[in-house]
Amino acid sequence: MQVYEAPIRDMRFNIEELHEDDGFGDLEGFEDFDDDVTKAILEEANKFCRDVLLPINWPGDQQGCRIENGVVRTPGGFQEAYKQFCESGWAGLGVSEKWGGQGAPHSVGKMVEEMTCSANLSFGLYPGLTGGAMVALEGYGSEDLKNFYMPKLANGEWSGTMCLTESHCGTDLGMLRTKAVPQEDDSYLVTGNKIFISAGDHDLTGNVVHLVLARLPDAPAGVKGISLFLVPKFLPNDDGAPGNFNNVTATAIEHKMGLKASATCQMSFEDSKGWLIGEPHRGLQAMFAMMNTERVAVGIQGLGVGEIAYQSAVYYAKDRLQGRSLSGVKNPDGPADPIIVHPDVRRMLMTMRAYNEGSRAVSAWVSRALDAEHAAKEPEMRERAKDFVALMTPVVKALFTDLGHESAHLAVQVHGGHGYIQETGVEQFARDARIAQIYEGTNGIQALDLVGRKLPDRMGRNLRSFFHPVSQFIEDHGQDANIGKMIGSLQQAFGALQLSTGHIAQKGMKDPEEAGAAATDYLRLLGFVAMGYCFAKAAKIAYAKLEEGTDEKAFYEAKIVTARFFFERLLPPAMAQMMVITSGKGSMMDMPEEAF
Amino acid sequence: MAESNMADKGIKKVCVIGAGTMGAGIAAQIANAGVPVLLLDIVPKEGDNRNAIAEGAVAKMLKTDPAPFMGKRAAKLVETGNIEDHLGKVAECDWVVEAIIERLDIKQNLYARLEEVRTEGTAVSSNTSTIPLEQLTDGRSDAFKRDFLITHFFNPPRYMRLIELVAGPKTNPDTLEMVREFVDRKLGKTPVDAEDSPGFIANRIGTFWIQQAVNSAFDMGISVEEADEIGGRPMGVPKTGIFGLIDLIGIDLMPHLMESLTSTLPKDDWYQKIARSETLIEGMIESGYTGRKGKGGFYRINREDGKKEKQAKDLKSGEYRAAARPGIVRGPAKKDLKALISAKGKVGEYSWAILGPTLSYAASIVPEATATVVGVDDAMKLGYNWKFGPFEMIDKIGVAHLIERLEADDLPVPEILRKADGRSFYRVENGKRQYLGTDGEYHDVERPEGVLLLEDIKLSSEPLIRNGSAALWDVGDGVVALEFTGKMNALDEQVMKLIQKAIPMVKKDYKALVVYNEGSNFSAGANLGLALFALNIAAWSEVEKSIKGGQDAYKALKYAPFPVVSAPAGMALGGGCEICLNSDAVQAHAETYIGLVECGVGIIPGWGGCGEMISRWKDNPRQPSGPMPAVSKSFEIISTATVAKSAAEAKDYGFLRKDDGVTMNRDRLLFDAKQRALAMVDGYEAPEKPEYRLPGPSGKAALDLAVDSFHRQGKATAHDVTVAGELAHVLTGGDTDITETLTEADMLKLEREAFMRLVRNPKTQARVEHMLETGKPLRN
Repeated sequence: MQVYEAPIRDMRFNIEELHEDDGFGDLEGFEDFDDDVTKAILEEANKFCRDVLLPINWPGDQQGCRIENGVVRTPGGFQEAYKQFCESGWAGLGVSEKWGGQGAPHSVGKMVEEMTCSANLSFGLYPGLTGGAMVALEGYGSEDLKNFYMPKLANGEWSGTMCLTESHCGTDLGMLRTKAVPQEDDSYLVTGNKIFISAGDHDLTGNVVHLVLARLPDAPAGVKGISLFLVPKFLPNDDGAPGNFNNVTATAIEHKMGLKASATCQMSFEDSKGWLIGEPHRGLQAMFAMMNTERVAVGIQGLGVGEIAYQSAVYYAKDRLQGRSLSGVKNPDGPADPIIVHPDVRRMLMTMRAYNEGSRAVSAWVSRALDAEHAAKEPEMRERAKDFVALMTPVVKALFTDLGHESAHLAVQVHGGHGYIQETGVEQFARDARIAQIYEGTNGIQALDLVGRKLPDRMGRNLRSFFHPVSQFIEDHGQDANIGKMIGSLQQAFGALQLSTGHIAQKGMKDPEEAGAAATDYLRLLGFVAMGYCFAKAAKIAYAKLEEGTDEKAFYEAKIVTARFFFERLLPPAMAQMMVITSGKGSMMDMPEEAF
Repeated sequence: MAESNMADKGIKKVCVIGAGTMGAGIAAQIANAGVPVLLLDIVPKEGDNRNAIAEGAVAKMLKTDPAPFMGKRAAKLVETGNIEDHLGKVAECDWVVEAIIERLDIKQNLYARLEEVRTEGTAVSSNTSTIPLEQLTDGRSDAFKRDFLITHFFNPPRYMRLIELVAGPKTNPDTLEMVREFVDRKLGKTPVDAEDSPGFIANRIGTFWIQQAVNSAFDMGISVEEADEIGGRPMGVPKTGIFGLIDLIGIDLMPHLMESLTSTLPKDDWYQKIARSETLIEGMIESGYTGRKGKGGFYRINREDGKKEKQAKDLKSGEYRAAARPGIVRGPAKKDLKALISAKGKVGEYSWAILGPTLSYAASIVPEATATVVGVDDAMKLGYNWKFGPFEMIDKIGVAHLIERLEADDLPVPEILRKADGRSFYRVENGKRQYLGTDGEYHDVERPEGVLLLEDIKLSSEPLIRNGSAALWDVGDGVVALEFTGKMNALDEQVMKLIQKAIPMVKKDYKALVVYNEGSNFSAGANLGLALFALNIAAWSEVEKSIKGGQDAYKALKYAPFPVVSAPAGMALGGGCEICLNSDAVQAHAETYIGLVECGVGIIPGWGGCGEMISRWKDNPRQPSGPMPAVSKSFEIISTATVAKSAAEAKDYGFLRKDDGVTMNRDRLLFDAKQRALAMVDGYEAPEKPEYRLPGPSGKAALDLAVDSFHRQGKATAHDVTVAGELAHVLTGGDTDITETLTEADMLKLEREAFMRLVRNPKTQARVEHMLETGKPLRN
């Protein structure tokens, strides 16, 4: 059974307590979002997700999307839910007030995103894509385009997409073929076929605004010849209403492993009118602005699925009576004890819990940085925040989605045979979570981005934003009576990370394949150290709260146990990544290609 | 007079006539060598001071940057005068250099007067770049002709290493040798023998090259930026390329060069066919756009509207526009000449349009302008700062391939090129570098006596040990050379490891060690990039280990049981300076720029520089007694990141000892350093460990006060105060007072601790980062 109640207390802990001393200083412009407002937002979001989105999650999966006469139909209930989503103002939560949004900080917005992803990942994709499109448009679009489109996207009236992939080019965008021909009225006619376009067409909004990568006639070959265009499905009339059809057609929808209620379309553009976003041949720049936002968002998807998987597994483990506890009967009135009494079930539940809380803590830290990038008062703080976001974006994307996928499978395992049955609802999590490891740049690509770009950039400058606070925290708390032991193990892992970083910097500079061979393991190690740092900080706060007296004893005690579990059972294997990282590429690359 | 004695006699005093840029610069370089020089010019038409021109030239040179003088003492060796009142003093001189206006009649007139006053045996040479020797000495006595030659310096004379020597048929070989020895050993130049032919070697080829490149740019529609990108670095030419170089030397010089060559070269010379002037360039000269010295040139920095924009001249429209960075030379063409001239499109077409004719022309002037290909290559490398000479370039392209391309384009294939077909102009045979002579045979490239080069040693031997950042070479006679080999000769852990490995080896099997390399800079110090990376990942213990490792290695060198002589040339900064400070002696090239620049990046010297500087100043007999003067002096020099602009200046700052040696000729540095080390072998004892009595906190307070006042005046930034405070803490001995004695180890510990505090400071990190990204210090 799919069970969900937003972990509001933990979310608030992350927003209000954990990252107070994140080193970014005071932020400007979020004065309206105090703790009370934040709490109210989270509670309202929870209600919507729990009561509206969750009930249509499994049915949506069963029903899937359909395509009829070139128009995509979403599963039952999606239209109503989307209407409610817009009416309650969720569409514009994080969008600037200038465009009619609420201007909420990422630190709050990302928590709401997590909730939608938990309750209904497929649904979350529709507004999610619109959010990405707004980032590119707001950052690079002309004033006219922004003034016209932003308000309609911010209130959810229209939705957005990003059209990158073509059948022969996915990761390697340099090969794309879609063409854009300039017209006398400063518009362009876009022609080409795109695949794997999420929310490419649907029945939730009156118009779909596509951001399309295409080549101008004089474009140089490769990625330096790609431009970005805004192409609406219907050309707006002067009054702003959708007018003539713009020859943007969904020719098919994909039949996928999961995420079935999200329409993944093949799109055809045929002399479709569009407008340039940003400068000619500089489309990737705008697209990357959007992709970076989306990469963090996809990471949150992993966390969202991990959370609902955990909650559903806990519900089942408490409910399911089988066998007796190894330490004696716990449920004498029943025929058996609930399976939650078993250490191995605990292992699985605690693993999921620690993944979720650790990911949420890191996500809250990155969200703070996303806000601080623009809103920190000191320029140095903005710089540091920017470095931190750059460094952590691939980590958030790849690690969270890997862990989310792991959690989903653990949830199936906790359910035993019933987990493998569709009607139970948990195998949907495993199928849905799978895509997050793939799209928006596979996790392998994320790892390469980390070691190939983010790590060596400016002699490791991005690393400073992460390594320095962690190093300082370890130095300051090594002798702490409460968390000294956790710090000891954090220090070991941090040392392993430093060594691995040095190793990659040295070897990778001479031989990029060495960096490539270490990339995935390095990303995981870095991510686990980040989670460890957050857990140690959380434990420190929890101990302090318990010492000063609190009426939320259970919450803080649980936080400490989760932290202990992380340091004792999850960090040590992650530390061993160092041995993998430093082993080099030989055992993979020495195999002759013919031997495969 | 016994002619054989003349070379022995040597040159003790020189007279330079003509105090223009060249004459004054030549006089300055002679003074830099410690030789008194008389600088004469005409009596000015106006004013009472009859020496005003020569005096003015000296005064101007004291303000010129880059400085013609290596130090103030050198300037005092220049005696000024005029040719009306002081020509008689020529009798005291052993060499007279004429560097007056390029007019035959005026020169001849001067020689006639010189003949009356000079002593027989006194060499007379002209710095002419255009007038044949034969014409210059026309009408002079045989005695005068015996002592006459052309010594053609390049501008600026202190820094350009080429000197072309032209002897006439009557020139006494001993006179030639006397001057050759002097310009080589004393002035540090590389003499190249040239025939008495127009433009001699370097300017003949250089002028052809520039003309061909300019013509082709106009003909092919190549922009100045494209021309300089293609014609600069990829060809091993300084990055100014063609048009940037013309801006530098002055656009108005172009017509003069052309005029002088077209009027003196035979009518059928290839240059006559390509010599032409462009309306655009003529217009630029007329309106004062003569290059960097004028209102602008092919490039200019436009400061209109408070902006600072680099602009380039559009060769078609003649207008300035924002300078572009074409980025058209890509891939192997960046480094491989053959790939460059074979590249598709304008990169290949333009590079060939320059190189094809230029290389063919260069090959055509051997032996007419100079006897060997080596002379041509040396002239272009030392006179035009080309990385490779024309024949070295031909070898890179391949003789056969070049001939093929020349023939395909109907360009001349000179005889020497035909002789080399299927072979190369240079080869290494039995560990010796050989060149192809005009006789079609290979001959050894001979080095003058007293020239020892690692470059040559490497041809015939392998290093004793080596790693990624350093190598150890047997340089003969029981001496070993430690060479830095990392990028920019940066110092890192590997260098320190190699030092530690070298010490027992030298102790066992050798007599002495010299620290020497043939990079353009001895070492600009520690590998900052590596350090910054370590800082960024908070690898504090690694950073501290590398500081300790450097201290240990340098001290191990200092107390090694054999003499250690450092032989710096070019920049010796930070750790590069500290290794010199820790050596028993230094044999420095005159052009050594040494200093402790750590404060500029927010740190302090960490490899023993602090203690060594105090010792230097404490041992200085001219310092007042007491602990404070040496500390203050060291503080002043280190806190301001002072860099000496010559070896002479380095002695004033105490980076070099008064009795450390200075070698004028770069090629003689290793030989001299080796001799110095060998001279110390007998009875060598390692230095005693110093003890320090330092003022402690009271002394620091005094230094802090001074820094605070600089801070209040806005001369020191907040972080300067922090860094200077740490430096003061170390130099004053930390928590000590004059009753206590500190050991060297105590000083090193203080140094290390202060260093570690500073590297953890975000402002220091910002400085290091800024230096790496921009090459300039950050004033935060």
